[in-house]
Amino acid sequence: MMKRLVYLSLAALMVACSSVDCPVDRTVATLYQIRTSDGDELTITDTMTISTVNVDNEDVVLYSGRDSIIYNKGVGISQFNLPISYSHPEDVLLFKFEIANTDSLVRDTVWIKKDDYPHFESVDCNTTFFHTLTNVRYTHNYIDSIVINNPSVTYDSKTVHFYLYPKSDD
Amino acid sequence: MILRRFISTSILRATISILVLSASVPAQAQKFFSFQKDSVPMFRGFAVSFDLVGAGLMAFTDNGQYEGALRVNLHDEWFPIIEAGLGRANHNDDVTKIHYSTSAPYFRIGIDKNLLKDKHGDNRLYGGLRYAFTSYKVDISCPDFTDPTWKWPTGYGVLDAPCNYHWIEAVVGVDAKIYGPLHLGWSLRYKRRIAHKEEGDFGNTWYVPGFGIFGDTRLGGTFNVIIDI
Repeated sequence: MMKRLVYLSLAALMVACSSVDCPVDRTVATLYQIRTSDGDELTITDTMTISTVNVDNEDVVLYSGRDSIIYNKGVGISQFNLPISYSHPEDVLLFKFEIANTDSLVRDTVWIKKDDYPHFESVDCNTTFFHTLTNVRYTHNYIDSIVINNPSVTYDSKTVHFYLYPKSDD
Repeated sequence: MILRRFISTSILRATISILVLSASVPAQAQKFFSFQKDSVPMFRGFAVSFDLVGAGLMAFTDNGQYEGALRVNLHDEWFPIIEAGLGRANHNDDVTKIHYSTSAPYFRIGIDKNLLKDKHGDNRLYGGLRYAFTSYKVDISCPDFTDPTWKWPTGYGVLDAPCNYHWIEAVVGVDAKIYGPLHLGWSLRYKRRIAHKEEGDFGNTWYVPGFGIFGDTRLGGTFNVIIDI
């Protein structure tokens, strides 16, 4: 009886279970919150469009003659998500603000420096990168300042990474 | 008032239970850990074993392990054991195109108890525990791909990342005498990770030498060819 049990078990042990165990929310993006100078959340009435651009000696150069819109004509917003490049030391973003009830268009360029880390969950899950934000600089046409609140960009989509303070008289 | 009486009763019951347990456990434990009194000598020799399941996985899949063990037989009742092996994975995923490779030794130390009443018979039923450890390096890579937003080529790779892993295993197994010094046996193992470290904060490791694929299942097993020496 014991010998039979031993032999039968060999086949059973060769059978293995497997499962795919990837995180449900695998989005790695930055979260911006617009704030007043007092630190309160601010809903802007101007229309905001954000594009990715390249730079050459501080001059904005469009990709193949065009920019790439990553946030299109947001109105009445106080928070927004933006993608972050997988593996590049600095992202450059072009913010365009169409001022409400006027024909004026105000542009700002934002440079975001970061360190990129390959992140691995399982061979079943697609590759991704986590990031540490190291510096942000910007032009001051519409934007008064941008402050890094949380430098760690991971699957956490709830924590605000940047506080964006518009100029108070705009 | 009713609540206070309920709490008092509960405390009284708990106290009595603890007193009864504290009186009975040492006696049971003493019996469990003692050796049967008979004319059979304490030291009954060594046995070496080799696991066929890990070798089969190594031969037919992209991950597995070669594993051997040295067991000491104390009175056919207690069996201190050292297990050592070489675990290896070299996996290319067809869907995600991720390549994962590692190769490292691992070690387990523990003890089994023969749970059968007839301790000195040809067959044994074991229950036991193991502490296991491995220190290993992983390579993770995939072909360059295009960043979906910025459209430039992106490389991805983790090279020679040092990691270590500690875990414990609860073991149940059988061992049947086949002929002379030759035995065959199997063990079923429930594994729990107790500590781990991955240098570089790249996330998790997938295959861990000796532990297997993390997250798949906590169960594992061996099928052993055992020779008394």
